Amino acid sequence: MNNTAQKHDATPLVAESYYAAVTDALRTEAARLLSEGVVTAVIGYKEGRRHGTAGPAIVVDPARANELIFSAACVNNLALYLTKAKKGVAGTGKIAIVAKGCDLRALAGLMAESQIRREDLHIIGVACAGVFGSGADRREPLSAGNLAGKCRECSVGAPEGADIVIGTLPPLPELSPVEAEELARLEAMTPAERWAFWKENFARCIRCFACRQVCPFCYCEQCLCDRNRPQAVETTPRPAGNMAWHIVRAMHLAGRCAGCAECERACPMDIPLNLLNRKMARELKELYGHEAGLTPVEKGPLVIYREDDDQSFIK
Amino acid sequence: MSRIGVFICHCGENISRTVDVERVAQVTARLPGVAIALDYKYMCSDPGQNLLKKAVAEHKLDGVVVAACSPRMHEKTFRNAARAAGLNPFLCEMANIREHCSWVHEDREEATAKAIDIVKFTVSRVKKDRALAPITVPITKRALVIGGGIAGIQAALDIADAGHQVVLVEREPSIGGHMAQLSETFPTLDCSQCIMTPKMVDVANHPNIKLYTWSEIEEVSGYIGNFQVTVRRKARSVDEDKCTGCGVCMAKCPQKKIDNAFDRNLGTRPAIYVPFPQAVPNTPVIDRDNCTRFKTGKCGVCEKVCGPGAIDYGQQDQLIVEPVGAIVVASGFDLYNIGPKPADSPYEGYGEFGYGAIPDVIDGLTFERLASASGPTGGKILRPSDGKEPKQVVFIQCVGSRAREKGISYCSKICCMYTAKHTMLYKHKIHDGQAYVFFMDARTPGKNYDEFWRRAVEEEEAVYIRGMVSRLYQKGDKVVVMGSDVLVGVQVEIEADLVVLATAVQARTGADLLAQKLGISYDRYNFYSEAHAKLKPVECATAGIYLAGACQGPKDIPDTVSQASAAAAKVMTLFAKDQLEREPIVARVNERNCAGCLACKKVCPYGAVEEKEIRDRNGNLIKTVAYVNPGVCGGCGTCQATCPSKSVELDGYTDEQIMAMIEAL
Ligand SMILES: Cc1cc2nc3c(=O)[nH]c(=O)nc-3n(C[C@H](O)[C@H](O)[C@H](O)COP(=O)(O)OP(=O)(O)OC[C@H]3O[C@@H](n4cnc5c(N)ncnc54)[C@H](O)[C@@H]3O)c2cc1C
Ligand code: SF4
Ligand code: SF4
Repeated sequence: MNNTAQKHDATPLVAESYYAAVTDALRTEAARLLSEGVVTAVIGYKEGRRHGTAGPAIVVDPARANELIFSAACVNNLALYLTKAKKGVAGTGKIAIVAKGCDLRALAGLMAESQIRREDLHIIGVACAGVFGSGADRREPLSAGNLAGKCRECSVGAPEGADIVIGTLPPLPELSPVEAEELARLEAMTPAERWAFWKENFARCIRCFACRQVCPFCYCEQCLCDRNRPQAVETTPRPAGNMAWHIVRAMHLAGRCAGCAECERACPMDIPLNLLNRKMARELKELYGHEAGLTPVEKGPLVIYREDDDQSFIK
Repeated sequence: MSRIGVFICHCGENISRTVDVERVAQVTARLPGVAIALDYKYMCSDPGQNLLKKAVAEHKLDGVVVAACSPRMHEKTFRNAARAAGLNPFLCEMANIREHCSWVHEDREEATAKAIDIVKFTVSRVKKDRALAPITVPITKRALVIGGGIAGIQAALDIADAGHQVVLVEREPSIGGHMAQLSETFPTLDCSQCIMTPKMVDVANHPNIKLYTWSEIEEVSGYIGNFQVTVRRKARSVDEDKCTGCGVCMAKCPQKKIDNAFDRNLGTRPAIYVPFPQAVPNTPVIDRDNCTRFKTGKCGVCEKVCGPGAIDYGQQDQLIVEPVGAIVVASGFDLYNIGPKPADSPYEGYGEFGYGAIPDVIDGLTFERLASASGPTGGKILRPSDGKEPKQVVFIQCVGSRAREKGISYCSKICCMYTAKHTMLYKHKIHDGQAYVFFMDARTPGKNYDEFWRRAVEEEEAVYIRGMVSRLYQKGDKVVVMGSDVLVGVQVEIEADLVVLATAVQARTGADLLAQKLGISYDRYNFYSEAHAKLKPVECATAGIYLAGACQGPKDIPDTVSQASAAAAKVMTLFAKDQLEREPIVARVNERNCAGCLACKKVCPYGAVEEKEIRDRNGNLIKTVAYVNPGVCGGCGTCQATCPSKSVELDGYTDEQIMAMIEAL
């Protein structure tokens, strides 16, 4: 729901020419990397079948580098393609990947978890003004009105730590943080109200596991929730099992989730999953001063023990 | 279908008093998969164990549940019985119906119902137990001894005499510890140096002992039988191989006015020094903080006078890795500081005794140096302020000890004895002097100890005043001691020439840091904890690490030496085998499922998790997974709790077993 565009202000955030320029630079860089043999493949975006859409693309031939694009429709977190969906790609040699700030955080997290190695990657950072929210009319330019909720409070628009960064953003307007506001609304509720809120939301879950499949951090070979000996989580979409699944998902991502909100985008039932992610991220920050994916930290807060850890939660 | 035998113990009346054991047997006999259930008065006795063995054979049991005491008590006993009957010992589990049930409940009905539940879920667990084979790991038959006081010396000599290599690490430039500072020792009054130095020399000459002085423990990794210890050899600035110990450098060093800590700062020493003349090794060290050459770049006299050219100003700290199989910790003690309270000290300090500001108020160890023939006064008892012979000396016991309000509640154990010794030494040297002792009780258990104390009182005329001292203050050249005599019920005031405080024995400053490196536990006073107060007094809870001497708690020399020899015996027992057998309760990784996130590696407190590459037939890397080294794994289960995909599990405690146990309820 939060990823859904907010329908009011339609002033374009960046000029169309910005995307054209970034796309050009991207193609040149990709062609160079492939033809010079620096990388064996470039993971990026290409135009989708419907006008104004874009989808993931893996380019291995320098001649086809001109298929790559960058626009506000480039919603996917491509880090995913380095873990499970196209795992084979990672085995072919050094790979270039187009990364927005939020994607880069996922890459850093995956490095910390031994899933990818920095030296195997050539990261092409793209300065990003935000992506479309779901339901946005793709014919219109990106504006505060059709921007994804997560992008309204993005702090990593210009990615850091990439091998190259393409594009320089114009100053962007301060936007009201709708996700933070929604979180505040939930936090103000009584526990019973909050429970009811989530129960209602999770009741809709059909256990398609789209959230899991699209998450770069859900890279387990076999998900705990698919196990049957012993069965940890009921597999049919019934309330108890749904609740258990979503608690497991939130807990397993705590301190790791990079905030790309792909789970929420992929969810066909519009469950506000990123709210949970954000809540966990905030707890981690408050308790341990940890923010996921800013740098590849060797040990995240949940796998480390320190004598002076805050233990006030033990009551 | 499983064939499980359930054996329920009465534990005399310990269990049967609150639990209806016959009923537990009747009910559990009917559980699916249970072939037989019976109860007996003492399952752990010979007839009890025979019942178990007979049943295994007669009923062809494939699993055994012994419902009795804690597994910590008798798991081994019953597993051995199961093994003797031909069953894999790890198919035998304990259901604890004593500590977890009969001892903590009163209601017989409820306790019986709970005992039945406990047996029930243990049956479910046993059904999913796997037969396990013990793990064997090779033993590195070399020992590390930390600390070269009498404890470390004794342990090192014993182990070395048994034919094993010993690495002895001492922080100071010489071994010897506190005992080297003592004058004469109770209860026999033999000269400490005279009985100590031969042992020190033995250490230096022993072919099996590698001595690192002026060195510290930097890092410890590994586990019983296979530790890797990194030793930091601090730069001595003198080449030990070249130095002949002639001592010219020390004689010629122009910087001679440095407080001599060995003499409790009563005398001075040069910047290049050995702490005392009988030091082992006899190689000096340059105190870089006080050496003119290091401070200003000028001087360099020692280099010029050293015949063999042993001086090396450029020496650096060296890190050396020593593989050892066992560790004896013998790092000794410190004394309660009578000076101002250090900022980070948990202890109160003694404001009423002037916080160490009165020069003629000293501690017992300083008195030892005054009374020692090799001390700063050549064995003459002269007071620090003006070097006069003190004619009235007041000894105050229990300074810091047994003083809960000051932060220490324990008794330091040695002070009653050494104070009695001090009064004697004093009387022997100053015949017309008078010693007074303020004491709470005289605690003198030990062979010939009470006789020794009585001698001080009855023959050597020390005046013992039972009571406390409330204040000390300087008056002219006297120290006024204000105290009370509780037996007579009067206030006492003595104008003393010298006051000696028997200060509390404390753990070493920094003892906790060493413990953290070793992974051993310590009590709230930072004394190291033994594994069992009565039955394992020299073992640490961490396998392969043993304790000797005052680092474990206040001790005199006889106790220290006994414990050191006991620790050495434990090490020798360990080294008597070539392979170490370990319980196979270790974690195993399901390599098919493992995603290689290595979260387990990050949390494992034993460092047991390694990375393992899985390759196809052509050698192409398929993936990297976690691998648990069974020799290192401590079986704590932390990895199991952490693994997001549940790909690592502890044998005997798999998720499937735990779930089955829950479901049985
Ligand atoms: C005033 C006084 C009088 C006493 N008189 C008597 C007596 O008459 N008779 C008697 O039986 N007992 C007497 N004692 C007790 C006796 O001193 C102790 O029992 C004995 O010294 C304990 O020996 P230890 O080896 O355990 O410790 P220590 O003597 O303290 O030796 C420990 C050694 O370990 C070294 N060390 C410490 N930390 C480290 C580290 N991290 N790494 C490497 N090395 C380290 C130290 O430098 C030291 O050399 C007296 C004690 C005092 C204070
Ligand atoms: S935590 Fe689990 S998935 Fe991760 S490396 Fe260890 S065993 Fe494998
Ligand atoms: S059980 Fe796991 S965490 Fe514990 S020691 Fe073994 S491998 Fe390490």
